[in-house]
Amino acid sequence: MDNLKLEATKYTPEIAFDCENHLLEIIGESYPENIAEFYAPVFEWLEAYLGQLGTQDVTVNMELIYFNSSSSKVLLDLFELLEDAVDDGKKITVNWIYEPEDEDTLEFGEEFQEDFESLTINLLEKSS
Amino acid sequence: MISELYEFKKYLNKEGIFFCFSGPVSQELLVEIGAILKQKIKLEDAGNSTAIRVFSMVVEQAQNIIHYSAEKCPKPYPSKAGEEISIGIIAVGYENGHYFVLSGNMIEKEKVSRLQNKLTGLKKMNKAELKKHYKEQRKKGPDYGSKGAGLGFIDMAKKASQPLEFDFKKIDEKFSFFSSKTVI
Repeated sequence: MDNLKLEATKYTPEIAFDCENHLLEIIGESYPENIAEFYAPVFEWLEAYLGQLGTQDVTVNMELIYFNSSSSKVLLDLFELLEDAVDDGKKITVNWIYEPEDEDTLEFGEEFQEDFESLTINLLEKSS
Repeated sequence: MISELYEFKKYLNKEGIFFCFSGPVSQELLVEIGAILKQKIKLEDAGNSTAIRVFSMVVEQAQNIIHYSAEKCPKPYPSKAGEEISIGIIAVGYENGHYFVLSGNMIEKEKVSRLQNKLTGLKKMNKAELKKHYKEQRKKGPDYGSKGAGLGFIDMAKKASQPLEFDFKKIDEKFSFFSSKTVI
């Protein structure tokens, strides 16, 4: 399958999903007007990727400076998809990366940690 | 109006408002307003996290206007036939050591009681209850008729330093004017 690469815009993050190196990155801001339209191809790719994935280690880096409330729901859906894959034997680790002193993003990361059991979500402060 | 414009500016200043927009709100406009506000707040304050928190309130309020305002005008070129832009008011100010965001738009009469109940419920919740409610609602997914995740007001209440304030003013048989204030 092909990698998925979407450049960042003012209100959508960069999507860099690399299926050769098993590195999936979402970086930037997320507050599109039409949330479903933007994330539909992202989920489509992810489902296809997880479907053909073996036992390789997968790293998911989430580095969101800001996301709106409807993006927060999308992130939950995304983590649920990843957790199902982990329950299915896949090896996936999520790094939730936040800026120093950004309490809100840290808190969001902590809340996601509480919501998931088998999916590992590491909280990493970005070194400046 | 021309002679009253200065009075209007003085009134905004008196209320602590340093930014005010009334008219059609688009996603592109929101990006520009957000950029100016972030820059201004970073310069005068507290730093990044306050700026992002104010910005996040502006995004939620503006997207509520975009999705739910009952007052609309035709979208200018380039657009498809029938596309419209929502009309509303957004204001940002500073008082008693806190930034605040005001927002207002027309809504259909039928939507008033449901929104009023929802916001009254949020107002009674403390931070722990808001967090729990947010997570439950996020898990459950949006209510019928919602164009987002149905989390905007809960998110704002969670991030606000004071309970949300809101008001409904009956305009005529069909519409009310909905206003809200969030304090960061």
